[in-house]
Amino acid sequence: MAGISTHVLNSGTGRPGAGMRIDFSVRDGDGWKLVKSITTNADGRTDQPVLAPDAARTGQYELLFHVGDYFRRQPGGNDTPFLDTVPVRFAIFDTQQHYHVPMLCTPWSCSTYRGS
Amino acid sequence: MASPTLTRRAFLPAGLALGSLAAGTAAAQNAPAALTTAPVSQLNLSPRLTMHAIDTHNGSPGVGMKVQLSMHDGTDYRVLRRFETNRGGRTDEPLLVDQSYQSGRYELLLQVEDYFAARGTALPKPNFLAQVPVRFLIANPAERIHLAILFTPWGYSYYRGS
Repeated sequence: MAGISTHVLNSGTGRPGAGMRIDFSVRDGDGWKLVKSITTNADGRTDQPVLAPDAARTGQYELLFHVGDYFRRQPGGNDTPFLDTVPVRFAIFDTQQHYHVPMLCTPWSCSTYRGS
Repeated sequence: MASPTLTRRAFLPAGLALGSLAAGTAAAQNAPAALTTAPVSQLNLSPRLTMHAIDTHNGSPGVGMKVQLSMHDGTDYRVLRRFETNRGGRTDEPLLVDQSYQSGRYELLLQVEDYFAARGTALPKPNFLAQVPVRFLIANPAERIHLAILFTPWGYSYYRGS
């Protein structure tokens, strides 16, 4: 299945990152045009594809993960936050391929990659 | 906000490195330093922002990475300076220190696609990653922040290092 999907993992607890807001945007000229805001489900995924296969176009995309808000709501909180919103920008270079773009995060680190 | 810290000494070599990139001697300029010593501890250094780019695709320091440092001014990220990483994947001077090290929202923008293209790495067009934004907060200017950034053509991670 082509298109875009994501998965948020809380690497500090080893659990899915549930209830994290993600803003999905597409490159539009010099800026970014918001396509939709999504919230991760109990499995840290999104109920619907971030971008459906028939909507995939070659171009630049952004997933803006609201990591700071997510960790503020977790037990223990974080009084000196290091991460707030974390943008991940990537390209669809072949619309026949799928782009799975996970976000692994703790209050002090984050990691993303082309997954599968 | 112009900082005096990374000005003449560090910017001039960065500009020269850019010029020689254009002249086609990128390979010599971008050779990583030999990995013969352990990193130097920054324990007990005064509050400051430092960074280290590590190319985990090639197992080397991220040498000659073009980076743009911005600070959020309440509306948008405003560029403070542009620089290149040195042969250790670091910068010769702290990015922010003393009066320039202030709480706020910051972004480093790394030219990852250009970095790998200059090394002849096979990449799709457009590459999966092009300009990688690394956003972070300085919440407590009494504490030093070291940013470690590990990158490949297909992913990256960054964290508060030491």
